[in-house]
Amino acid sequence: MFIDMHVHPDFYEPISGEDKTLELRHESLNIHLNGTAPLEHIYNQMSCAGLDQLCLLATDYSTSHGRPVVSNEEVWHLVQQSQGRFMGFAGVDPFREDAEEVLRYAFKTLGLRGLKLNLSRLKLFPMDERLLPLYEICLEHNRPIIFHSGLSLEPDTQMRFSKPLEFEPVAQRYPELRICLAHFGWPWVQDTAAMMLKYRNVYTDTALLYFDSAREFYQRVFTHDLAISWIDRSLRHQIMFGSNNPRFEQIRMAKALEELGLRASTLELIKSENALVFLGEKEVKAW
Amino acid sequence: MVEHHSIPLQTKKYNQWIIITEELKRICRESRVKNGVMYVISRHTTTGVTVNEALECLESDLHDMLERLIPEDYPYAHARILSSYGSTAGNPTGHLKSHLTGNHCVLSIIDGTISKGDAQEIYFCEFDGPASRTVTVTILGE
Repeated sequence: MFIDMHVHPDFYEPISGEDKTLELRHESLNIHLNGTAPLEHIYNQMSCAGLDQLCLLATDYSTSHGRPVVSNEEVWHLVQQSQGRFMGFAGVDPFREDAEEVLRYAFKTLGLRGLKLNLSRLKLFPMDERLLPLYEICLEHNRPIIFHSGLSLEPDTQMRFSKPLEFEPVAQRYPELRICLAHFGWPWVQDTAAMMLKYRNVYTDTALLYFDSAREFYQRVFTHDLAISWIDRSLRHQIMFGSNNPRFEQIRMAKALEELGLRASTLELIKSENALVFLGEKEVKAW
Repeated sequence: MVEHHSIPLQTKKYNQWIIITEELKRICRESRVKNGVMYVISRHTTTGVTVNEALECLESDLHDMLERLIPEDYPYAHARILSSYGSTAGNPTGHLKSHLTGNHCVLSIIDGTISKGDAQEIYFCEFDGPASRTVTVTILGE
């Protein structure tokens, strides 16, 4: 089993009907010059990467854009037709008056598996009072949160809101809330490692490829900026595979992960087991 | 007279050689041009169009030759984030293989059929798949 926990479906053909929608998504993600992707292509790409399941992320900044970039319903629609190959995370603009209602609907009715937030874009610190009710709903429904963390290449974002250490009060106040500091919090990867060492409810993903090739960048981050032994011995239960596709490359990142020299049991954790625990499908093992 | 046709392809592998000869023959049969030339042109920069013999040993040798000349693990300058795309350009090998293979082939049309040797097959070469691809077929003649 191999799961990619960080995929943006903004250009998937079944939800890419109108030019205005695509224009909004190009601008919002700051990804350009790419076409729309038929599901057949997505499945071929998964096959080449050896992936069994993708976690698709909805995005909602509707108070500034007038509509969600990718709505929870659109993610649900993709999940419905994927025959188990996709799962979905909700996106909720915390500035919406009905934010709590939208999140509850996404969990209870649409069956979305967690919440994704980019606080760099929302310009909210993690303990902002607008966010706390959403955390409570996640706890109530045993759903995890993926926070964008570290550098964001989306427009109108500020990194200071998403530095890994900014999430410490959340990890501390809500020890039962599983949170993922996505992108390994790059460039603050050691801060992310410290957060995971201190808080067992903190996870991260491998969705980072900001320089060079996937192989070169993974080698740099996981064998120089961090020690590979830190991953293989201490942090191996809290890291999930994520690609941030389409910004980064799913196939080459999956291969680069395999080439890091991690133990087979660590690879298995990163490729699937940790995701299942993060999602609440499996119990946390003692480690 | 000039005619333009296109062949859509959904490639399935990272590197893949697809024979398109039969599709070209069909286009030739349906064309109003009976004598002229057919240009088979890829619309992409990480693919190729080439002519060779369709034997699995040769396909393997051609693939291995390109892998030797253009290995995946090499410090290519193109391996970086492109600000105009907002995404990573991880496909330098595709561009370089495309450069070696070329983006087109030209075939003669004589008396309504493609004139080619018995051993010749026309390949579309995918070097950065899977992807949605298009081959343009332009026929010039009378």
